[in-house]
Amino acid sequence: MKSNGNKESNENREQKLRRGQRRFTITMQRKLVVLFLFVLIAFVGLGMRIYAITRDNGEEYKRQVLSQQSYDSETIPYKRGTITDAKGTILATSTQVFNVIIDAKAMLEKEDYLAPTLAAISSVLDLDSDEIRDYVNDHPDSQYYIAAKNSPYEQKNAFDEAQSEDGNIQGVWFEAAYIRSYPNGTLASDVIGFTNGSNSGSFGLEEYYNDTLNGKTGRVYGYLDDMSNLERTTIDATNGNNLVTTIDANVQSIVEKYLKKFNDEHENKVREGKGARNIGAIVMEVDTGNILAMASYPNFDLNDPQNTEPLIGMNKLDETDSPTDEVLTAEDVEAFTDEEKSRYLNALWNNFCIATPFEPGSTAKPFTVASALDAGAITGNETYLCEGYLEVGGHQIYCHNRYGDGLLTVGETIERSCNVGLMYIAMAQGIDTFTEYQSRFNFGLRTNIDLAGEARTAELLYSADTMQAADLATNSFGQNFNVTMIQMITGFCSLINGGNYYEPHVVSKITSPSGATVENIEPRVLKKTVSESVSEKIREYCLQVVTGENGTGKTARPAGYLIGGKTGTAETLPRGNGEYIVSFIGYAPADDPQIAIYVVVDRANEEAQDDAKYATGIVRNILTEILPYLNIYMTEELSEEERAELEELQLSDTLALGRDADVSGNSASGTTGEGAGEGVSGEGESGEGSQTGASGQEGASENASTAATANEIWKTFETDPETGYKVDPNTGALVDPDTGYVFGGSVLDESSSPGSAAGSTASGESGESAGAASSAEISGEGTAAASPEEAQE
Amino acid sequence: MAKKRAKDNSTRFRDYSLLFIILFLLAFGLVMLYSTSSYEAALEFGSSAYYLRRQLIFTVIGLGIMGLVSRIPYHFWQRVAVPAYVAAMILILMIIPFGTGGADGAKRWIYFGPISVQPAEIAKVATILMTAALINRLGKRGHTGRGFALILAVPVPIALMLWRITTNLSSAIIVVLIVVGMLFVACPYYKRFFLMGGAVLAVGALAIYVVTNAADSSTLDFRGRRILAWLDPEAYAGDTAFQTLQALYAIGSGGLFGKGLGQSMQKLGYIPEAQNDMIFSIVCEELGLFGAVCIILMFILLLWRFLVIANNAEDLFGALLVVGVMMHIAVQVILNIAVVTNTIPNTGVTLPFISYGGSAVVVLLGEIGIVLSVARTIRLGEL
Repeated sequence: MKSNGNKESNENREQKLRRGQRRFTITMQRKLVVLFLFVLIAFVGLGMRIYAITRDNGEEYKRQVLSQQSYDSETIPYKRGTITDAKGTILATSTQVFNVIIDAKAMLEKEDYLAPTLAAISSVLDLDSDEIRDYVNDHPDSQYYIAAKNSPYEQKNAFDEAQSEDGNIQGVWFEAAYIRSYPNGTLASDVIGFTNGSNSGSFGLEEYYNDTLNGKTGRVYGYLDDMSNLERTTIDATNGNNLVTTIDANVQSIVEKYLKKFNDEHENKVREGKGARNIGAIVMEVDTGNILAMASYPNFDLNDPQNTEPLIGMNKLDETDSPTDEVLTAEDVEAFTDEEKSRYLNALWNNFCIATPFEPGSTAKPFTVASALDAGAITGNETYLCEGYLEVGGHQIYCHNRYGDGLLTVGETIERSCNVGLMYIAMAQGIDTFTEYQSRFNFGLRTNIDLAGEARTAELLYSADTMQAADLATNSFGQNFNVTMIQMITGFCSLINGGNYYEPHVVSKITSPSGATVENIEPRVLKKTVSESVSEKIREYCLQVVTGENGTGKTARPAGYLIGGKTGTAETLPRGNGEYIVSFIGYAPADDPQIAIYVVVDRANEEAQDDAKYATGIVRNILTEILPYLNIYMTEELSEEERAELEELQLSDTLALGRDADVSGNSASGTTGEGAGEGVSGEGESGEGSQTGASGQEGASENASTAATANEIWKTFETDPETGYKVDPNTGALVDPDTGYVFGGSVLDESSSPGSAAGSTASGESGESAGAASSAEISGEGTAAASPEEAQE
Repeated sequence: MAKKRAKDNSTRFRDYSLLFIILFLLAFGLVMLYSTSSYEAALEFGSSAYYLRRQLIFTVIGLGIMGLVSRIPYHFWQRVAVPAYVAAMILILMIIPFGTGGADGAKRWIYFGPISVQPAEIAKVATILMTAALINRLGKRGHTGRGFALILAVPVPIALMLWRITTNLSSAIIVVLIVVGMLFVACPYYKRFFLMGGAVLAVGALAIYVVTNAADSSTLDFRGRRILAWLDPEAYAGDTAFQTLQALYAIGSGGLFGKGLGQSMQKLGYIPEAQNDMIFSIVCEELGLFGAVCIILMFILLLWRFLVIANNAEDLFGALLVVGVMMHIAVQVILNIAVVTNTIPNTGVTLPFISYGGSAVVVLLGEIGIVLSVARTIRLGEL
C-alpha cells in the first residue's frame, strides 16, 4: 500500500509537470516523418550501393579474395641426404641452421621490449644491434626481416634460454634451414660435386643422385574448423635418402696426396703453370667395378666451389673452350668477366676422369693383343721383328724405339711396348675384328658410371667402314682414337679379371633417413669381353711390363709387391709439338688382381713430357701406401733400399706382412724376363712369328737372329750429365738409357686424328734394335726429323 | 487499488516490438561479432570467444541499465540535462591528462578502475538531453533567428572538443547531425536546412577539389589522403585504402546470399579489426546482399518504432528525446554503411548494437531505456 501511495504521488507530480510541458505538434510530427523519409532514402541508396558492388565487382572481388588467401601456411625444409664413403666417413652432409628473423612490430609493441631484445641480439647472436635498431626504427611495421643467415643451433638455443629468462625479449624468431657442407673440403671434389643454395646438385654424385638425395618440403597449413577456430596441420618434411659410396676416403686421400705432390714438384718447373695440364687417377676394384678412388688435379674446395684461386696456372681456353698454351695469371683471374669465370670454373669442376677424352697411347696395347688372341688371329706364340718402323699404307710408322726392338715375342711387344709388333698383331686380326673388339671393350661409349657428366667419345673412334690400314696401325698402339679414363680402366679390369665387364659404379647403397636400406647396388656384369685364357695371357704380359728386364713399367712396382700393368705415352694434337700424355694402367697384386689403378698425366710441366715415369712414379707411391691399407700382403723380399724407403714412410709395421712367396705365373714371367735378351723362350716361336709376318706384311724376319742378339746401341751413347739420359750423337736427341726411347719424338708423321682422313705413321717405343737396321733408320729419319715428326714411345 | 493498477498496466503502452527488435539486433550482433572476431581473438588472446565474452558482459550491463532507465520518468532528464552536458565536457577534458590511446594513437578512453569509458559516447547522450531540454525551454522562441542559432550552438563546444582533443571527427559530426536533426523536427522551416545542407555540400566539394589538385599528395594530412583513397581505393591499396578495399572485396565476394555464416575469408586477418567499424562488410560477405538488406530493414523498423513513439509522446520533451536517439542511431548506421561501401571517405563509425564496443552498447541501451520510458507514458487510448 505504501509503495502504491508513492506511485500515486509520483503520478500526481508527473501530471503537474506535464501540464507545464509543450505538445509535440502536428507540424513536428510531419517533419519527423520527413526526416524518417530522408533516412529511408539514405538506406535505399546504400542498399543500391551494396547491390552495385556485388553486381559489378562480385566476380573480380571473389577472385581477389581467393588469391590473397595464404592460409597462413609456411614451409618446412627437408634435409638433403648424406653422402658417406664405404666406411661411413661423411663426405657431404646437410646441417640444420637458423635464419634470424626480426619482427619489428612485435619488438616495438611495448617500450620495455626494445632494449633487452637488442642487448640479447648483440650478446647472444653476435649481431650488430645498432644496425637492427636502425632497421626497426625505420620500418616499425616490418614483420619479416632476415637479420642473419645460417646461425648455428647453439646460438638459437642460447637465445631461447635468454628469452625464457627475460620475457621482455620479443620480436625475434628463428627459421630453420639447411646448409650443405663437405667436411673434407677438396676430398673427392670431382666425384661428389656440390649443391647450390636451392638443393640442386651440380656435377658428380650431387647431380646424378639429385632426386634421391632431395626430400620433400613439409608444410604447416592453417585453416578454420567448423567452429571457426584456427587449426594447424603439419605435414612433416620428408628428408632425402643417403648415399653410401664405394669410395674409400683413405685411399682417396692417399691418391690425392700424390697427385698434389706431383703438381707441387712440377709447378712452374719449365714454364708458368700447374705441374701438368691435368692429372687424373682412378682406383677400382677389379671384380666388382666399385670405384675406390677417383681424383683429378687441379681440384677445388666443395665448400667454396666459386673460389677462382685454383684457376691460377690453368691453361687459357680459346673460343671453343679448348685449352691453349698460355696459362692464367692471378691478374687474369682477377679481371674475369662473369662469363669467363663461369667458363673456367666449369672446366675446373669437370671430372677429368670421366669427361675428358684423350688418346690413350700404349695402354691400349693389351687390348689390341687381347682382341687378336680372343679372335684367334694369333696364338700368343708368334714373334715379330721390329726394325724401328713399319711402312703401312704409304706411311712410315715408327716404333718408339727408332733403333729397332729386334725380334720379339707377343709378350715382349707388350713388355717393351713395341709399336711395330702391335701393328703386325692388329693387321693379323684385321679391321673388322679390331673395331668389333673396340666396341666390346666399350671404347667410345659411356660406361654408365653413376656420375654426372660422363663423355661419350664414339665419334672420336673409327668404325669398320671408315678405318684405313694406317688407322688400324696407329689405333693398335692407342693413337688416333679417343677414350676417357673410366672407359680404359673399366675395359682393363675385364681384360685381367677373366673377361667380365662390370659396370663401374660409385654408390653401393641407398639408405633412408632412418638408416634402413632402400636399395643395394650390386656389381653388375654387363658383358663378356675376352675368355679366361686370354685374360691369363694378358696378365702374364702385363706382369712382364713391370718385372721384365726391358719392361717399360718397372718404376711402377711398389716395394714388396708384384703388380702388372702397362705404360702409355700418347702424342697429343697437334702432332710434333713435343706435348704428350703419359699414363700407367695396372693392377695389384699380380697373382690375384684385386684392384686396378690408372694414372694419367696430361702434359707434364717438364722439358721432356714423354717420360712414362711421371705416371709410374705416382702409381708406385699410391700403391705403396694403399696396398697394405687394403690388407693385401707383400709377396716379395724387400731390398735394403726398399726397406729404408718404407721405414721412412712409416709403413714398417706392414713389413711383417711381407714374405717370400711364389706366385703362379710369377716365376715363369721371371724367366721370360731374364731370358729376353738371349731370346731363349722366344726362340721356338720365332719361326712362326716370321711366317705370320711374311704372310701378313712386309716381314723383316730374316733379320730376326741379328736383332735378337743385337746390342742395345743407344747404351753406347754418351750420357748427358744434367739429365742422366743418353744423347744420340747423330740427332742430339735425348734417349732413355733403359728402353732406347727417344724423347720428344713423334711416331706420327702428320697431324692426324680420327676425324681427319689423313693417314698416319708411327715410330716407336722401347727395346733393343739391330745395329744395321737402326743406323739405316736414323739416316732415313734424318730427313723425316726435319719435318714435324718425332719419335716417341 | 490493485484493480486500478492492473487496468493502468493494461492501458499503458509497452512497445514489445521495439524490445524485440533491440534484442534481435543485440543477438545478431553477438553472433556476427563472434564469427568476425574469433580468428583474431584466438591468435591474439588464445581464446576465440575473447571479444564475445567482453561484449556479452557489456550487453548484460547495458540491458540492466536500459531496464533501470526505462523506469525513471523521463522528465528527470530535463533537470539533469545541463549538469550532464557539463559533466560530458569535463570527461572529455580529462582525456588530456588521463586518457589512453586507441588503435591509431589518439587518446579516446578514460579508465575508472577496471572500466574504460569513451567520453564521446557520453557526450552524444548529453547532447541529446541538452538539446531536447533547450528546445523545450525555448518553445516558439526557438523559431527566431537567435533561438535557432542558440540551439545550433549546443553541440559546437562538445564537437570542437571531440575533434581537437580526441581527434575523433566522426563523433563530432554525429553530435552535430543529432542536433541538426532534432532542430529540423522542432522548427517549422525547411529553407534554412536546405541552405545549410547546400553549404556543407559546397564545402565538401571544395575540400575534394583542393585535395585532388594538391601538387604533392605527401604533404596532405591523413584526412586528405583518406579523401584521395576514397576516390581511387585501388591506387592506395597498400596503405590508406587497405581496409576500405578489403571491405569492398568482402562485400563483393559475398554475392546474393553470401558464403554462409562463419565462412568469411576476409576476417582471417585481411580486414584489420573487422569486429569494430568493418563488421558490416563481414555481414555482407557471410550473409550476402540478402543479409545486408535484412539488417537494414531491422534498423528501418527500429527507426519506425521511434517515429511512432515520438509522434505519440505525451509532450515535446519526450518526443525530442526519442528523435535525438533516432537521429543518433540513424546517423551512425548510415555513416557506417557508407564508409564500409566506400560511399564516403573512411572515418571511424561503429554500427549500433552490432559492432564491438562496451561504452557504445551501454550508452545505446541507456538511450533505448529513455525511449522506453517515453513510451511508457503513452496511453493505449492515445494511439
